[in-house]
Amino acid sequence: MSYDDLETLDEFATAQGIPYPLLSDIDSKVIRQYGILNTQISEDDAFIHGIPYPGVFICDEQGIVTAKFFHDSYKKRDSPENLIDAAMGRIHIDQGAARVTGGEADINITATVRGGRGSLRQGIIRHLVLRFQLAPGLHIYGEQVPKGLTATRVTITGPADVRTLPARFPPSAPLRLPTLDMELQVWSGEVDIVLPFSAAGALATEAHAPTPPHCQLEFEVAYQACTELECLLPRRERFTLELPVDVVDVPNLGVHRGHGQREGQYDSTPAMRRLLWRKVRARPLGLVKLIWKTFTLKVGNALRRRESG
Amino acid sequence: MERDELGFDAPAPVGHPVRASMPEDAGTGPAIGERLPDFELPSTLGHPIHFHAHRGHSKAALVFYRSAVW
Repeated sequence: MSYDDLETLDEFATAQGIPYPLLSDIDSKVIRQYGILNTQISEDDAFIHGIPYPGVFICDEQGIVTAKFFHDSYKKRDSPENLIDAAMGRIHIDQGAARVTGGEADINITATVRGGRGSLRQGIIRHLVLRFQLAPGLHIYGEQVPKGLTATRVTITGPADVRTLPARFPPSAPLRLPTLDMELQVWSGEVDIVLPFSAAGALATEAHAPTPPHCQLEFEVAYQACTELECLLPRRERFTLELPVDVVDVPNLGVHRGHGQREGQYDSTPAMRRLLWRKVRARPLGLVKLIWKTFTLKVGNALRRRESG
Repeated sequence: MERDELGFDAPAPVGHPVRASMPEDAGTGPAIGERLPDFELPSTLGHPIHFHAHRGHSKAALVFYRSAVW
């Protein structure tokens, strides 16, 4: 759903081969009804006024929200595969995706990236999936653990321009050990831990094609496996996955062309004219104010950069 | 292109409203556990869609994005 007109959406769906319905919320009525109008943008900001904070709602068969995805930066968008996993309530591991294995006897660890066949793009959120397969009788721990035990943690240590979101863990089971006066949270059997992450900075930028077009994702997994009677030594394992770095999809519009990104299948200049006409008709001075604001910001930022040397 | 505080590049100056991040206290609509509000909108299927009626008994992903144009 967007505030674009239907003619634009029909062109877009045909040119980009989109099989699902696109909805035209031309006056941002539903965007406002849902309470997600971007209020950082004023009515004086001409054609950009009326857009939502981008995000996704997943609902069940009764229309009840079971998951939602909204982020601070508009650049952060969730991969379609991760939306499907949220809707289906399970994680599908791509058999063709790059993977790395680890663990020890009775504990297998498989690490892979879910989304975009493991490729990184600016802002697009992929899922690092750690699948533990524990032999019967063994469990690993969630937080909080007493001193001497190691909770299960996964951390991305490189490259530097990777941004992570909080890790997601499956529901745990309580375990009360006779020797400890506290309830621990444990997992056993097959355990999927997900660490959402995205690429930013020089690693994946809209300014130019990625150089180089691949990176080494480095991550560390800490855990400790125990039976009800005894524990194995805590482990800290390091892994590396080579992942391709890809460009982002941008509209085929003057401001986006020529930066080495993947430009849309059709020229959206006529659609832009329709949008400008629709918004300028409602608020004639808005476009002038927006152009002036853009110009003064560019000049101001350039002067500040020069001053800071 | 200018890079913002979150490390992203875009073809608009930093500080421009088109690049503004969502504030921490911004509402993000219906919460988990709430029913999605119903609505009717024109669609690329060639006829308007009433959301819950069109969805029927299926799960759905409702995606809000900024624009197909720019």
